[in-house]
Amino acid sequence: MASLESLTEDLLVRIYKGLASDGDRKSWRLVCRDFHRIDALTRSSLRVLRVEFLRSLLANYPRLDTLDLSVCPRIDDGAVAVLLTSRGSPWAFPRAASSSLSPPGRDPLAWTRGLRKLVLSRSTGLGHHGLEQVIRACAYLESVDVSHCCGFGDREAAALSCGARLREVKMDKCLGVTDVGLAKIAVGCGRLEKVSLKWCMEIGDLGVDLLCNKCVDLKFLDLSYLKVTNDSLRSIGSLPKLEVLALVGCSLIDDTGLQFLGGGCPLLRVIDMSRCNGISSCGLISVAKGHEDLVQLNASYSLTECSSILLRCFKDLKNLNAIKIDGARVSDSAFKALSNCTSLVEIGLGKCIGATNLGLMRLVSGCVNLRVLDLTCCHSITDAAIFAISDSCRNLTCLKLESCNMITEKSLYYLGSFCLLLEELDLTDCGGINDTGLEYLSNCLELSCLKLALCPTISDKGLGHIASKCRKICEIDLYRCNGIGDDALAALSSGCKKLRRLNLSYCSDVTDRGMEYLGQLEELWDLEMRSLFNVTGVGLMALAAGCKRLADLDMKYCENVDDSGFWALAYYARNLRQEAKLVHLNKVTVEGFELALRTCWVRIKKVKLLAALRFKLSSDVRETLHSRGCKIRWD
Amino acid sequence: MATSRKVTLLSSDGESFEVEQSVAVESITIKDSIEEGSAGNPIPVPKVNSKILAKVIEYCKKHVESAKAEDRVDDEDLVAWDADFVKVDQATLFDLIRAANFLNIKSLLDLTCQTVADMIKGKTPEEKRKTFTIRNDFTPEEEEEVRRENQWAFE
Repeated sequence: MASLESLTEDLLVRIYKGLASDGDRKSWRLVCRDFHRIDALTRSSLRVLRVEFLRSLLANYPRLDTLDLSVCPRIDDGAVAVLLTSRGSPWAFPRAASSSLSPPGRDPLAWTRGLRKLVLSRSTGLGHHGLEQVIRACAYLESVDVSHCCGFGDREAAALSCGARLREVKMDKCLGVTDVGLAKIAVGCGRLEKVSLKWCMEIGDLGVDLLCNKCVDLKFLDLSYLKVTNDSLRSIGSLPKLEVLALVGCSLIDDTGLQFLGGGCPLLRVIDMSRCNGISSCGLISVAKGHEDLVQLNASYSLTECSSILLRCFKDLKNLNAIKIDGARVSDSAFKALSNCTSLVEIGLGKCIGATNLGLMRLVSGCVNLRVLDLTCCHSITDAAIFAISDSCRNLTCLKLESCNMITEKSLYYLGSFCLLLEELDLTDCGGINDTGLEYLSNCLELSCLKLALCPTISDKGLGHIASKCRKICEIDLYRCNGIGDDALAALSSGCKKLRRLNLSYCSDVTDRGMEYLGQLEELWDLEMRSLFNVTGVGLMALAAGCKRLADLDMKYCENVDDSGFWALAYYARNLRQEAKLVHLNKVTVEGFELALRTCWVRIKKVKLLAALRFKLSSDVRETLHSRGCKIRWD
Repeated sequence: MATSRKVTLLSSDGESFEVEQSVAVESITIKDSIEEGSAGNPIPVPKVNSKILAKVIEYCKKHVESAKAEDRVDDEDLVAWDADFVKVDQATLFDLIRAANFLNIKSLLDLTCQTVADMIKGKTPEEKRKTFTIRNDFTPEEEEEVRRENQWAFE
C-alpha cells in the first residue's frame, strides 16, 4: 500500500527536510501526530512572534539551534525567569504551559542545551539579570545578537561575558557599553571570532586594545562610527586571523593608522573604510601593498582624489572582486589603470567627479566580468557609455543610474539587448526615460528590482510592458511618477505576483480601483502610498483584505480615508507589526484611531501619529501601547 | 583490477541479475560486504524484489556511465534523466526509497525523498492526507492548538 506512514521515521525526516518553505512545514505538522513529532524533532530554527507561545514551543522543539526573539514583544526578565524554571507555571501565561501534544516526562529545558544562536535584537525589555540567566542556562551558546537594545550598557556586557563558548557577539547600537564592558567580554569570551560594535560610541582605543589582546581568533571586526584612533589600528594589526574589518565613519583615523594595518593582519580580505575623512590614497596604498589577497575594498566618500598610483597598485591584487570609490575625483587615466583589474565584479563610482563616457568605455574594455556598477549622479554620461557597458559586460546584474539625466530610451534598448541577466536597475530621476524605453527593457526577464522614482515621463503603458514580461519583479519604486494610475496597478497585479515592495507615494491619479488591484498581490509586504487623496476607505478595505502579509505601511496625507477604511486595516492586517505611518489622515476620527490601535497594539512595533492626537488619544491607550513595546513617534 | 569483474545479485523473489562490480558498488552495503568477503555469489538482496532491483540497477548503471564519460555528460542531461526515472507510481517510489536506504545509495535516496517532498509541496494538510492515505489522529483540541500556533506563534 502506498502509505507514507509505512516509511520509517528517519526516511520521513529526509522527506520533511526536502520541504523548503515555511508554509509547507507548517502544513506538514498539521497532518497527523507522527508528522507533528517529526517537525518537532527536526526543526532547528524558530522565530517566535508571541511570548504566550514561547514556553510551550520551546518544550516541543528540543533540537533548536537558533532562536529568534527579535519580533516577539514583551520579552523581559520576568518572561526569561519563567522560561527557565523546569516546572510549569500555568498562571504566568493565559495558555497552558505545556502542550497536550508533547509526551509527558520530556524535559522542558532540553532546548537550552541545544541552542547555539540567540537573537535578541531590539528586545529592549530585557535587563542584565534576565540576560545573564539565559546566557548561563544555554551553556553551548555560540552566537548572540543584542543589537539595537539601546539601553544596554556595561552590566549587560558583563552578563554576555558569562558565555565562555561565545564565538559571535553583535552589539550594534548598544549605546551604554563602554571600554569597561568590552573588557569584560574580552576576558570572558576568549574564543570570539566575530564582533560587531557599530555605533557603540562610548568604546575607544582602550577597549579595542584589550579585545585584540585577549581574542586572538578574531576574524571579523566592525568598529564603524566609533571614536577610535590610530592606536586602535596598531592593536588590530596584531590580529593574526582577521579577515574582515569595518571602520565606516571612523573620522579620527588617518594614513598613519592605515600603515599599521598595512604591516599586519596577514589574512585580511575585506576592508570597509567608507566615510573616513582622515584617510587618503597614501594610506590605502599601504593597505593594498601589504595584502595581495585583498578581495573587497570600500573607500566610498573617504577620498577626495583617487590617484593613479593607487589604482595601479590594484593591478597586483589578483583576487580583487569589489572596489568602491564613490565621491572621489577620478581621471580618464585612472580608469585605464582600473581596467587592468580584470577580476573586478563590482565597482562603485557614485558621485565620482570626472566620470566621463571615455573613462567608462576604457574601464569596461578591461573589466568584462562586471556584475554590479554604481554610476549614481554621474551626470555627464550618455547613451554611448551605456552601449559600451552593455556590450562588454554581458553578465551585468545591477546597474545604478540615479540622476543620469542624459540617458534616453536608447540605453534601455542596449540593456534589453545585451544584459539579459539584469536583476536590479535604478533609474531614479532619469528624466530622459520614456515608455518606449520600458518596452525595450522588458526583455530583461530576470529583473526583480526597478526604481523609477521621479520619472514623470513614464505612464501606465510603459509599466504595462514591464509587468507583462518581467515576472520576477519584487520591488518597484514609482515615487512621484505622475503619469502612473490605476491601469499600471492592474498590469502589476496580473503580471508581477511576487511583488513585495511598492512605492506609490504622490501618484495622485490612483483611486480605489487601483487599490482593489493591489489587493490581489498576496506577497505585498511594504507599501508606501503617501498623499493618494483619491483613495477612500473603500480602497483601503480592499487592500487590507487582500494583502494579508502587509507589514509596513505609510499612508501619510491620505486625506480621504475615513474610519471604515481604518477599521478594515486594523481588522485584516494581521501582520502589520513593523511600522505604520498614519499621519494626517484628516477624516479619521479619534475614536477610529483608538479602535485601530487597540486592535493592533499586540502586533505593531512603531506608529507615527500626528502630534495633535497626543492630547486627544486617551492616556490609557497610550500607556498600553507603550507597555506593549510599541514606539509612538509624534509628528 | 576488479573493475571489469561481474557480480550476481539475487532479489528477494529469487531472480538473478548480473552486473559489473563497478555498478554494484554504488551501493555501499554491497560494497562493504564484498570487501569483507562475506558476500556469497550470488549476493542475496533481501527486502528488495526483482522489479525494484531492476530499477535500482538501471539507476546505478546510468550514474556510473555518466561519471566515466569522457566528454562529461551534461549535468543537465543527467538531471533530466533522473526526473524521468522517478516518474513512477507512488508504491514504486516508496519501494525505491526503502531499497535505496537499505542498499545505502545516497544519491538515489536523496533523489527519491526530494521527489516525494516536491509531490506534497503546496498541498493543504487534508490533501497531504488524501495523497498518502494517512489518518488524522489529532483530537479537535489538539488540531486547533496546532493551527493556532501555525497562524500566530512563530515563523
